[in-house]
Amino acid sequence: MTSIGTGYDLSNSVFSPDGRNFQVEYAVKAVENGGTAIGIRCKDGVVLALEKLIHSRLLKKDANKRIATVDRKVGVVSAGLLPDGRHFVSRARDEAAQWRSIYKSPIPTSSLADRMGGYVQAYTLYSSVRPFGVTAIVGGWDSEAELGVDGQVGSGPKVGAGGKREGAKSGGPYLYMIEPSGLYWGYYGAATGKGRQAAKAELEKLNLADGEISLEQGVKEAARIIYVAHEDSKDKEFELEMTWVSSLEGPTKGHHQEVPKALREEAERLAKKSLEPEDEEEEARVEGGDRMEE
Amino acid sequence: MASVFSASIPQEAPGYSFNHLSSGTREHAFNPYTDNGGSTLGISGADFTIFAGDTRSTSGYNINTRYAPKLFKIGGEGPSNENARIVLSVVGFAADGNALKERLDTVVKMYKYQHGKPMTVAACAQRLSHILYSKRFFPYYVHAILGGLDEDGKGALYSYDPVGSYEREQCRAAGSASSLIMPFLDNQVNFKNQYVPGSGVGHALEQRVPEPLPRKDVEQLVKDAFTSATERQIEVGDGLQMMTITKDGIEEVYSPLKKD
Amino acid sequence: MNHFPHGWGRPRDDVYGAYNHAYLQPDGSKQHTQSPIVTGTSVIAVKFKDGVVIAADNLASYGSLARFTDVKRLRRFNSRVVLGFGGDVSDMQHLDRLLSTLSIREDYSSTASESDNAARELNARNLHTYLAKVMYKRRSEFNPLWNAILVVGLDGESQPFLATVDLLGTTFSAPTLATGFGAHLAQPILRRAVPDEAAVAEMTREKAVGVVRECMKVLFYRDARSIDKYSMAVVEKEKEVELVEDEQLEQQSWAFAEGIKGYGTQTV
Repeated sequence: MTSIGTGYDLSNSVFSPDGRNFQVEYAVKAVENGGTAIGIRCKDGVVLALEKLIHSRLLKKDANKRIATVDRKVGVVSAGLLPDGRHFVSRARDEAAQWRSIYKSPIPTSSLADRMGGYVQAYTLYSSVRPFGVTAIVGGWDSEAELGVDGQVGSGPKVGAGGKREGAKSGGPYLYMIEPSGLYWGYYGAATGKGRQAAKAELEKLNLADGEISLEQGVKEAARIIYVAHEDSKDKEFELEMTWVSSLEGPTKGHHQEVPKALREEAERLAKKSLEPEDEEEEARVEGGDRMEE
Repeated sequence: MASVFSASIPQEAPGYSFNHLSSGTREHAFNPYTDNGGSTLGISGADFTIFAGDTRSTSGYNINTRYAPKLFKIGGEGPSNENARIVLSVVGFAADGNALKERLDTVVKMYKYQHGKPMTVAACAQRLSHILYSKRFFPYYVHAILGGLDEDGKGALYSYDPVGSYEREQCRAAGSASSLIMPFLDNQVNFKNQYVPGSGVGHALEQRVPEPLPRKDVEQLVKDAFTSATERQIEVGDGLQMMTITKDGIEEVYSPLKKD
Repeated sequence: MNHFPHGWGRPRDDVYGAYNHAYLQPDGSKQHTQSPIVTGTSVIAVKFKDGVVIAADNLASYGSLARFTDVKRLRRFNSRVVLGFGGDVSDMQHLDRLLSTLSIREDYSSTASESDNAARELNARNLHTYLAKVMYKRRSEFNPLWNAILVVGLDGESQPFLATVDLLGTTFSAPTLATGFGAHLAQPILRRAVPDEAAVAEMTREKAVGVVRECMKVLFYRDARSIDKYSMAVVEKEKEVELVEDEQLEQQSWAFAEGIKGYGTQTV
C-alpha cells in the first residue's frame, strides 16, 4: 500500500493530501475478512442471513447467535470485528429504547439506520477512537397497522375528528447497510463480508426492485446465496444463521425472529443441491435443451 | 376558568353535586402504612423453639386471603430455604414484613457465603435490630419475633418493637391478639400469679418457679391460645402455621382454625 | 425539666405558646399529597383447574363522571400472563410502558432455541414479584402508583397463579381475588364457588367464566362507578390467552326498579 510510511494513516480523523481517511479504509479491510452477511428485502418482509465461520470444533452447534434483535421488529447482522458488532447492537438497542421513551412507539427502521449512521460516523472524527470494524445490515418491518402509543388504553373515536383515516397505507419492509465510514443507504438486497462480490452478483439476479419475491422465497435465496458466497473459502466450516421479520399477517407477526429450524434446514438442503455438480441437469439439457434460458 | 375545573376534583368520599360542610382546603395525604391484622407467638423450650401464627390477612373488615404465612425460614438454601435454622415471624404491615424478611434472609445467606459457617441466632438477632433501627424515622411497621437454638442448643427467642429495641425472652405474643394471648402465656409459661400452695400468706407467698416446658405441652398451649384468640379477635382465624426448631431442623405444620 | 418525653425537643409552651400543628403534623414528616384522578373500578379473578379467569369493566371515571367508556384495563403480557389494573389509569399506563420495556429487554437475553424459549419467558409469579417490588419502592418514596393490580396466569410449574399487589406494595394470593368494590360484592360470590385450593381442582373453565360473568353483573347493578361493557381474559395451560375486550353484560333485569318509590319526580 502506498499509504504506508506516509504517516497519514497513523491517526484517526486525519485526511491524506488526496482526501482519504486511511483508518476508515483499514476498518473496511477488517470487514472484508469477516463471514458473509446478507439481507434481502422481500415483498412481505426482510430476511437476514450470515455465514458464521466456525473457528473451533469446541463451539456448541447452533449456539452463539450472531444476528441480534433491536426493539421487537428490527434485526441487525454484521460482518467484521465481532465485539464492534456487539457494541453496535447495544447502541442500537439504547437508541430504540430512548425513542420509545420519548415517542411511546417503536422506532422506525429508517430512523434507527439514521441514528446508527450518525453514531458510526462520529467514530471517524476523533483521534481518541477508531472507526467501527463492522459493516452492519439493518432490516426491519415497520407496522402497517395504525398503532396506538405504548400504554394506550382505548381505541379512540371511530369516525370524525380524531377518527381513523380510511385506507391509509404506511409501514412495510426496510433494509439498510451501514459502513465503517458511517455511510448508509437503503437497499433491496445488501451483502458484506468476504463473499460479498459473489453474493451481490446473485442478489442482482433476483430483480428485487420489482418487489415480487415472497418472504419464503427470500429465505431460500438467502440460504443459497450464503452457500454460493462460501464457495471461495470451502476449506472452512460454517453455520448458516438466518432470521426474518414479516408483516403482521405473516409468519412472525411483525416480530424479528429466527427462521424456524425446519424451514432453514429445507432451505439449506435446496442450497446444497443447487451447488452439486449437475449430472441430472446435463441429462435434462440433452432432453429439453431450453433450460439454459432461465 | 381554572376554578371551574378545580371545583369538583374527586375526593376519596362519594362525590356530591353540593359542597361539603367544611369549606377549608381538604388534602388527602398518602398513608404509606396499613394493618393486615393477625397474630403470632413464639415460645422457647429447653431444646426447641416454637413459632406460630394465624394465616389470615385482612384490610379493615375484609379478609384478603385465608392463607398468607407470617412465619419465614431465614438463611436456608434455595427458594424453599432448606436446612435453615432460624425462623422470623412478622405481624403488622405485611409489605414491610416481607421487605424485612427478604433483607434479613439476604444478610444471613451472605454471612454464610462470606464466613463459611452459619450465622448464630444471637448474631442474627442483633443484626435484625440494626436493620429495624436503620429505618428509625420511617419504620418497618411490624412486630418481629426471631428464634432458633443458641450455641448451647437451648431454645432462643428474641422479640422486637418496630424500631429495633429487642430482648431475649421465654415467650412472646405479637399482633392484634397479643393482648389476649400474652397474659395467657405469662400465666402458663412463666407461671405468673401462680404460687406454691401453702407456702405462706401475703408477701410470704412463694412464686411458682418457671421451668422449661416439654414440647408436647407447649404445642397444646399454642393451639389453645389460637383457638381462643380466634373466638375473640375478628382479625385472627382461618389457619394456624406452626414451626418448631430443634437440633434436627425445622418442622412445619399447618392446621385449620375457624374461618368465620 | 419536662419529664414527659413527648415534650422533649419542642419549644416550651410556657415561653412560646402552644405548638402550632399546622406547621408540622404531629404524626410524622411532611407528606406528598396526591390522589388518583381518572380511575378504573374493580378487577375480579378466579382460578380453575388448568388456569385463571379475570375480568374488569371498560370504564374510566373522573370522580363521579363516567369519563372514558372504552378503556381496556386487562393487559396480556405474554402467552401465560395477564394483568388487571384497578385505580389510577395514568399510573396503569406508566406500568404498562414499564412492562413493555421489561419484555423487550427479556427478549434480548433469551434468543436460545425456540423449544426452551417458553420456559425462559417470564411467568406470572416472576411478574408479580417484579410488580410488588416496583409498587413497594414507590410507596416507600411517598410517591405511590395508585393501583390495585391482579396478576393472573401460570407459574413456573405451569400451575394456575393468581395474586395481587396494591399501592402500598401489599401482596397476597388466593383462589379468588377482587379489588375495590369487588372485594365487598364479588368476593363472597366467588368464594362460594371456589372456597379453597381443593375446590380449584374441581372447577371447570366454563363454570369459572360463568361465575365471573355473574359477578360482573352484580357489580354493574351495585357499583355506581361501573359500566355494562367489560373485558375478560382466560389463561389456560397449553392454550393461547383468550382476551375479549368488548363484552356486553347480558340478561340484565331491572324489573325491580318499577317498585321503587320515593325518588325523583314521580307522581305517586
